[in-house]
Amino acid sequence: MSFRADRITGALIATFGGVLYLFIIPRFVDSSQSSWIRPDTIPLATSFVIVLCGAFLVFKPTAHSLQNLRGHFKAVLFFLLLALGLYAMSMFGFVYIAPLLALSLMLLIGERRLLWLGLGVIGVPFAIWLLVVRVLERSLP
Amino acid sequence: MIDFSIILAGFSDAFTLWNLVFVLFGVVVGHLVGAVPGIGPVMAMAIAIPFTFGFDTLPAIAFLVGVNKGGLVGGAVPAVLINTPGTPDAAATALDGYPLARQGKPLKATKMALFSSVTGDTFSDIVLITVSAPLAILALRMGPVEVLALMIFAFSVLSGLVGKSFLKGVIAATLGLLFATVGADPENYNPRLIFGHYELYDGLPLVSVAIGMLAMSEIIRRLSEIHGEVKSAVSVQDAGNRNDQRVTWKEYWSCRYTMLRGAGMGTILGALPGIGSTAAAFLSYSTTKALSTKPETFGKGNLQGIAAAESANSAVVGANLIPLLTLGIPGSVSAALIISAFMIHGIQPGPLLFQDQGRLIYGLFGTMIMANFLNLWVGQLGLRIWVKVVSAPESIIFSSAILLCIVGVGMATNGLFGVVVMLIFAVIGYLMTSAGLSVVIFIITFFLGSRFEISLSQSLALMNADITRIVEYPIALALLALSVASVIWFLTRNREKSI
Repeated sequence: MSFRADRITGALIATFGGVLYLFIIPRFVDSSQSSWIRPDTIPLATSFVIVLCGAFLVFKPTAHSLQNLRGHFKAVLFFLLLALGLYAMSMFGFVYIAPLLALSLMLLIGERRLLWLGLGVIGVPFAIWLLVVRVLERSLP
Repeated sequence: MIDFSIILAGFSDAFTLWNLVFVLFGVVVGHLVGAVPGIGPVMAMAIAIPFTFGFDTLPAIAFLVGVNKGGLVGGAVPAVLINTPGTPDAAATALDGYPLARQGKPLKATKMALFSSVTGDTFSDIVLITVSAPLAILALRMGPVEVLALMIFAFSVLSGLVGKSFLKGVIAATLGLLFATVGADPENYNPRLIFGHYELYDGLPLVSVAIGMLAMSEIIRRLSEIHGEVKSAVSVQDAGNRNDQRVTWKEYWSCRYTMLRGAGMGTILGALPGIGSTAAAFLSYSTTKALSTKPETFGKGNLQGIAAAESANSAVVGANLIPLLTLGIPGSVSAALIISAFMIHGIQPGPLLFQDQGRLIYGLFGTMIMANFLNLWVGQLGLRIWVKVVSAPESIIFSSAILLCIVGVGMATNGLFGVVVMLIFAVIGYLMTSAGLSVVIFIITFFLGSRFEISLSQSLALMNADITRIVEYPIALALLALSVASVIWFLTRNREKSI
């Protein structure tokens, strides 16, 4: 049995479906029947199909491969930065955090030119503020 | 009986200065984002939807239609200039567009792409306008059993056609249906899988899911692929002499049969759920090459190749709306995004749309025609400008897009909770695409999930939970038989490809 990304994907998907079927859906979805289908019918049916398909993928993988591991690591960094940015936004608001988030993102991408950094950190958040608050008269998150 | 007063009222609603401004703005934005590799019209539409909340329905839809149509034309710009399609649809355009640009004729190539794209798009819109109303009348005769069978058929076709593996298509479709069950169930209104977050009682916000999976995950993927020096999204070559900068009438007319064939193929394929414009473009390109007396000139800058690809991929846009407006089933993600904009404005998709919102639908048709003309005009005038504007570095383009996603979803969901949901779905979208699972199928089944459940419940009620009574519904039976046949066909086709 050769190693393929699909085998890992299939195992993870089957596990996800199994956990849903056995633990999460019975606990978080009502199973009482007062109409033609119970509230848990579709969630249970879909999670069962997911288990089956995941298991099938383990045994019949395609040629798909997980490439660019360095890229995935960078993606994790970007997701963490965004999560941190959103947490900070919930504390201090978009107006104060957006320039910092834009700066962090641009630096992480590799931008070092002051003109572009200035445009991204000051110009873009200001333009968004202008569009949302002044033109559309809505509030920023 | 066709009520012409509604048709005329709809078109008169569309052809106003206010709508013209919105369509024009949408087309300009579409050209711009289409020209930036990695952004594209779908991502732009996803980001733009929340910003249209405050508009009236028709201007909002007009703007989105403009973005979609403009984006497809704009996608040809980087395909021709740097052999990097701005949208997947333009990949076939690059086959002959890029060699022509390398011969010092980039403007001739991009203009041929523009003309054939508008030709294909207009053809498809005419078909949409003429056939969708009669089809909707037929669709109105369908009951819940037929609708359920139709959705099962659409899911099976989508699973097989989108992506490389039928099994992965089924997984993506099932995940979409599973996530659609979050929130109150449509029968008893019992909360499901909300984990104490009552913000989820109405289900996962479609805007958060769509932007997270289509825009954010793709932006992060693009960012993760940047290594080393930050570069411009598009680099520009200088154009050749004047004759090489334009397409003559003779050259355009010589491609008429190619464009007509491409538009026909795009329209037929676009009317079927799941078959994207990329498939239409390659099919049209390969057919044109096969029928050509000089097939060896293809791939070396043949105008017929550009015309074949662009007329077909643009014809898919209008045709994609046929299943959406007649049956309520979106044939593509862009169609799903347009219908989500309808829903945001309180309009329910489906065959009743023509009956209840006929004026709006004909208004939509009017804006589509307007968008085609503006596409031609904006494309002619703006080509050089887009090329300059999209030369901005990726760092500013993608960081701005992220801030726009956050603000857009925050506005749509009235707070940061929806933004957090968007980030979660960005992670899910990233993982899915990394694993080769289609987010397109996920979004469409997620969108149709609650309707699927309601149809299932109504069907069981009609048949008194006796599945054998399906024989009393011949259309549903035929659709289910087609579903089984398509599954068997996809499985046997995949067996050749699988290991």
